[in-house]
Amino acid sequence: MMTEISQSTFEWLDQRLGLSGLAEVAAKKKVPVHKQSFWYYMGGIAMLLLTVQFLTGILLMVYYVPELSSANSSVLFINSQIDFGWFVRSMHSWAANLLIFVLFAHMFSAYFMKAYRKPRELTWVSGLGLLVIGFGFGFTGYLLPWDEVAFFATKIGIDIAEQTPFAGEFLASLLKGGAEVGQGTLSRFFTIHVIVLPLALFALAGIHLLLVQLHGMSEPKSFQDKPADKKKYEMFFPDFLLKDLMIWLLAFNVLATIVILFPWGVGPEADPFAPAPAGIKPEWYFLGMFQFLKLLPAHVGFIEGEKFGLLVFALIGAVFAAAPFIDKGHNPKLSKFFDIYGFMVLIGLVVFTVWGYLA
Amino acid sequence: MNYPIWSLPIIGGSWAVGLISIIHIFMSHFAVGGGIFFAVTEYLALKRINSSDSKLRRNAEMMYEYLKKHSKFFMMVTTVAGAVTGVAIWFTIALVSPDGTASLIQTYSLGWATEYLFFVAEIATVFVYFYTWDKISKEQHLALAKWYAFLSVMTLVIINGILSFMLTPAGWLKTSAWYEGFFNPTYWPSLLLRLLVMVAIAGMYALVTTARLDASESEEIADFRAYMLKYSSKWFIPVFFVGPLVGFWFFSQVPQVVMENIFTGIQSSGVGNFSILTRAIYLSLILSGTVLVFALVGPYLNPRGFSFASAIAFMVCGLAVTGMGEWSREMLRKPYVIYNYMYSNGLRKADIETINKEGFTAFSKWEDPENIGGSMFRQQCMICHTTDGYRSMKKLLGERDLEGIKSFLFMLRETDPEKNNYLNIMPPVAGTDEELNALAEYLYTLKPVASES
Repeated sequence: MMTEISQSTFEWLDQRLGLSGLAEVAAKKKVPVHKQSFWYYMGGIAMLLLTVQFLTGILLMVYYVPELSSANSSVLFINSQIDFGWFVRSMHSWAANLLIFVLFAHMFSAYFMKAYRKPRELTWVSGLGLLVIGFGFGFTGYLLPWDEVAFFATKIGIDIAEQTPFAGEFLASLLKGGAEVGQGTLSRFFTIHVIVLPLALFALAGIHLLLVQLHGMSEPKSFQDKPADKKKYEMFFPDFLLKDLMIWLLAFNVLATIVILFPWGVGPEADPFAPAPAGIKPEWYFLGMFQFLKLLPAHVGFIEGEKFGLLVFALIGAVFAAAPFIDKGHNPKLSKFFDIYGFMVLIGLVVFTVWGYLA
Repeated sequence: MNYPIWSLPIIGGSWAVGLISIIHIFMSHFAVGGGIFFAVTEYLALKRINSSDSKLRRNAEMMYEYLKKHSKFFMMVTTVAGAVTGVAIWFTIALVSPDGTASLIQTYSLGWATEYLFFVAEIATVFVYFYTWDKISKEQHLALAKWYAFLSVMTLVIINGILSFMLTPAGWLKTSAWYEGFFNPTYWPSLLLRLLVMVAIAGMYALVTTARLDASESEEIADFRAYMLKYSSKWFIPVFFVGPLVGFWFFSQVPQVVMENIFTGIQSSGVGNFSILTRAIYLSLILSGTVLVFALVGPYLNPRGFSFASAIAFMVCGLAVTGMGEWSREMLRKPYVIYNYMYSNGLRKADIETINKEGFTAFSKWEDPENIGGSMFRQQCMICHTTDGYRSMKKLLGERDLEGIKSFLFMLRETDPEKNNYLNIMPPVAGTDEELNALAEYLYTLKPVASES
């Protein structure tokens, strides 16, 4: 009886949604099994954390007020008066940080496994775009509680953005929405954080996921070189998916443990007229870049120091984005160059971030 | 206040006890759950060895062989690490909380003696069990497994009475009758809850030792490995279905004030000590839920894809939830060591009024007349606070000046919850006005700025 009902339900849905097509795709999708398989889970973890961000973000929006005199107190209200409020807020803040960390891990693992090579060039570029969107979420979200540290860190961030060659002033005025960081900035950051970036994210993440499905998991060279009978695969459905679920549970446990043992507080309300407190630093994922800019002299050659720094960042990013179009896998020397380049960037990022933290 | 105080910098006395106890629980719960696991699994293996299904028969034979190896791991973990940490708990609680320990010994002398007897019999049986594989008949060996299971459950039956008594001594407070304290309101739900958790922990350790089998050796081993992983994961089924119900039963029996504490943490700020109990319970619940889903999507639904690394990750989660659960249970009792009878710093609730009138100096046997403030701090505060480390006084005093510290201490002396909202999480400070002033002056010297000036 039950099987008849489930059979007819499946048929009804199948005729309307084409489920058997999906089932066929799922039955074909395979995942290579090798020593670096662990890195395949990073994208999934990012997706889990993103889901957490959407759900907690919606809940926070119910009580958050994007208005100068209420922003900080509304976050304080969420943190201290609303049932489960501090939990949701802490979840949102910690998951944001973990998400950026996982995106870095995802990007660097894809880079070093040369997963960007043909036919996955566009997957790689869309992934880089998603990382930039992630930074955007971090930068805009950081200001919303309108506390002292966030206010001054954002001010510094916008000042840096102003140094962008050619478009700097336009970019700064677009973000600020006025002469100074104030209501205009808060409104714009809020709109960008809750509407503009989510829409961009949906579109780009959709393309990214579609491309991943289209091309399947990439196989590292060491795996490709194996004789066919030594190559081990597992089915995506249900084997890899079940493992994915296990990893999600682990990631969620890590998040819950941090959230609960180190709940996120709220700083004192920002006072735009007060002097900036000593030692203002941006979030850790901007810290490396911040430290690098700080070390530059006022002028490098004929260019202003900060402008020079931003050009360096643009160049580093451009080489990253161009990697799949140059390192196509035919030239071992080029391949080696990109390996070394990646390591240098990674080491530089870690060193400058730690330096910035300790400074 | 009959004993000298053991000063433990940085981690504080409570964490010294906590860390050892939590490690001990990882072992002792395995000792009891594992007993049940061996008895049931050995019985099933023997029964299935005669099955007409050849595949089942082969797996049952391999299961029997597996038990021999697993019992070595079991014996080493429970008798060595379990026993060492068990004795270590006695040493630490006797030093950290001598008055509380004395109370427990005096109230339950017979209970502890019986516990010890069962424990010795349990240890002796596990050695006999391990060393008699293939040396006595299979039936006799199974009987040993059952005997061990009985003895280990009996150790729980006794210690559970004493542990749950500390949270809900109920009738004992009026009659001082041991059985009223022993069979207290949380006795039965605690016993059931622990048994369910122990059974799951036994499954968890079996997952770890099974996952170590090398599936690439032969198809038979791969097949048995999957069979055994699935079997071990089923040991989570009882806690999955019955656990939540028993959990509700347990919470329905804890004092109303404790429940109010939990709800304060849900509604108010998550930062600080008022919500620590709630936060610990949140984490216990989240980790319990995920551990159960983990068992489902891992070893149960995909045993062949369940690697040794997954088993270790699973064990870390399982141990984390056990540890969090115990930590939550300890915190439910706050600010008492024996609820409504003795505070965590060893002061009896009934003595507070006398101390406030006659003075702590007259009451304590270990006062330093040269440094009354320092003595007060060591005896009344240091069980939970340290100067620089865990719950650091320097940090908690913050920006307060001497007057601020004094008025804070006088507020902490109040025994009316309307006037002292710390009463649910901290024992009241006990002493005369002069003693509180001395304590305040001592605390003020801890502040770096004050000592420099």
